Amino acid sequence: MSANDQSPLASGANESIEWNFKLIGHHELGGFGGMGEGMAVQVAPDGRRIIWLAHESAPKNFTGVDVSDPRNPKMVVQTALPHNNVRSNSLELTGNILAVAYQTKQHGQTPAGFELFDVSKPEEPKSISFFDCSGPKSRGVHQLWFADGEYVHMAAGAADFIPNNDLDDQCYRIIDVRNPSKPEEVGRWWLPGTRQGDNVPPPVRHQKPLPDMGFRAHNTNVYPQRPDRAYLGYLDGGMLILDISNKAQPQLISRWDHSPPYSGFTHTLVPFFNRNLLIMTDESTVDRAADWPKLVWVLDNRDETNPIPIATCPMPPVDTWGNRGGRFGAHNLHENTPSPHCWYSEDVIVGTFFNGGLRAYDLSNPYQPKEIAAFVPPAPPLSRAGAIQLNDLFIDERKIVYTVDRIIGGLYILEMGF
Amino acid sequence: MQQLTDLFPSPSIGPFGRRLRQPRGGRIPVTVVTGFLGAGKTTLVRNFLGRPEGYGTALVVNEFGEVGVDDALLRASTDETVLLGNGCVCCTTRSDLQVALRGLVADRERGIIPHFRRVLIETSGLADPGPVLQTFATDRALGGEFYLEVAVTVADAVNGADTLDWSAEARKQAILADRLIVTKIDIAEASALEKLTARLRELNPRAEIVTAVKGEADPALLTEAPAPSLGGVDNEGARGFLAEAAEAEHSDGIGSFVLRQKTPMAWATFARTMEVLTSLRGEDLLRVKGFLDVEGCRGPVLVQFVQHLADPPVELESWPGGTRETRLVFITRNLPEKAVRDLFAAVSAVSTA
Repeated sequence: MSANDQSPLASGANESIEWNFKLIGHHELGGFGGMGEGMAVQVAPDGRRIIWLAHESAPKNFTGVDVSDPRNPKMVVQTALPHNNVRSNSLELTGNILAVAYQTKQHGQTPAGFELFDVSKPEEPKSISFFDCSGPKSRGVHQLWFADGEYVHMAAGAADFIPNNDLDDQCYRIIDVRNPSKPEEVGRWWLPGTRQGDNVPPPVRHQKPLPDMGFRAHNTNVYPQRPDRAYLGYLDGGMLILDISNKAQPQLISRWDHSPPYSGFTHTLVPFFNRNLLIMTDESTVDRAADWPKLVWVLDNRDETNPIPIATCPMPPVDTWGNRGGRFGAHNLHENTPSPHCWYSEDVIVGTFFNGGLRAYDLSNPYQPKEIAAFVPPAPPLSRAGAIQLNDLFIDERKIVYTVDRIIGGLYILEMGF
Repeated sequence: MQQLTDLFPSPSIGPFGRRLRQPRGGRIPVTVVTGFLGAGKTTLVRNFLGRPEGYGTALVVNEFGEVGVDDALLRASTDETVLLGNGCVCCTTRSDLQVALRGLVADRERGIIPHFRRVLIETSGLADPGPVLQTFATDRALGGEFYLEVAVTVADAVNGADTLDWSAEARKQAILADRLIVTKIDIAEASALEKLTARLRELNPRAEIVTAVKGEADPALLTEAPAPSLGGVDNEGARGFLAEAAEAEHSDGIGSFVLRQKTPMAWATFARTMEVLTSLRGEDLLRVKGFLDVEGCRGPVLVQFVQHLADPPVELESWPGGTRETRLVFITRNLPEKAVRDLFAAVSAVSTA
């Protein structure tokens, strides 16, 4: 029996929450408001501020929204995918070049790779090049990172990457795009044992009741403070720090794998360089919190060869939130993306938690993260989840927060009040 | 001894934690409404709850009967809590204010009641507001979760001046308020209003005095603290506390004064002085509140004391109005300004020797 059933005040459970965030704008994106986990802000040559948004799935590819006035967002362009067997759930931007990831439903399908666009004129994205990652055991690119204008770091399959298990089909690949019309691979790393021909045994798969989600790369973050390091979430493989001073041969520095007993799907790893901390998320991927707990972890990274978990960010109780509809648990963080148009913070963590909404934590004391703000809008009309499913977020240097619904709700624009 | 900031250093975190844009940070703002009997407190509060700005208020009262919850507004109830329209919730302090507040936070967390944004406490009749303010003055109790945003006292223009004459509690309400709302100005004699205003100004020279008719008041009066008043004497570069016009001691031995200083103060000097003051004269420190210019801190450090209890100090991102200066308001009983100044000077002299 949940707390809701016990209380005559149960109707309160479905009210929306706007605690220290203030909703100032909302855009349903022309009815195609099921959004992925790629968000980037551009200040276009004509001075307009455009947020580029990846869609969760076909038929749309990406959408640009003019947020110069965040209270009055205007959609300027929305592009389409060639067919419904491909999705483009991730994008990043440097200057006026937009990189978009393509992942197919099945191995061997196309287009599987990434495409670079010139978005100098936001209404008219122009394709510069396409980097092909298709292959007999490849679905292409799930996620990419493109922050320095020179290299794309990504979670991708490849024509010559044949995994021992089909679920392990995306490794970490580094692509040189200094000549954007001719991208070239310069390096690659995969968890030893996941590729056919490796001289070590395959990793032990997660056993029931834990879901077997795969040992493959997810987020692949690289920052200018440490251009020789890559910070990876590796799904069922936990988190990894790689030395990429020689991009041709990335070397493992450390790996923390909490699963089992946790249920894997390590998603994002963000270093807080000044503070010797790492912030890590595990994505909730099963409805009704069946894979609970999916957490935001704080790790002591004073010694990068031995990161130590010291805290998790408190979440609302699963007994009242788990059944509100759709997923409940951690997913994306504000990642301090190296861009002049991105807010930088190492004392506040902001993340999305699907039906748990958007939440901010004060990290003054990293042993005791404290929730200081939450935004949980009502279920968007027609959402099959019956609850909000906030998927990703981006905070620009004006401290304006953008967050998106995974199902249909589109883009929500907020001010921070803390 | 290693500090947290040695292990996990940050350019944006000071000795008092993350520098805040506003004093309450992530805490829940609390409004305390006190007032003379029949002054129109309840009308004011009900009017506020009915406006859009009142959305998401948790109202705390002594008895439901007092606030007169309209049946039409009532959505559901338990013994101690009722749901109102407009996302509001109302609970009684049948047992204890702290228990009621803890219950509200726990129920909010579990999604049993709406996710209220502020707490409004309506005290009954002529209560001494001291104990209520004290509830929020320490992190041992509720200071970590709640922040006293503003203490409002309602006085009516018809009978207010008389009430102040006969009631020590009424005087204390007026003295401890951040804002004084004068009601019933439409039915009061002009002379009565003048007399009340003068008396309130005398008792509490720093509080904002505003008027309301039939409970109609700017909702911000119940949700926002008055802006800290600036200006005053200008002795740039002077060391030690500056002189400000001394204020007369009121009846009941209660008086107030302001300590100002243009140069930064060592935190140890402040903390030790307040330790001595609170341990020797805690019950006579009715309220101490202000901004400190602390050595090594960029922003102002907000400190608050109620009797022997101290709110956790917080550092703000920037100085209000850009004026960097220590400014501390003391409301004390039988504790003269000179004694406090001398104590600060003595501790400072010993600390720096």
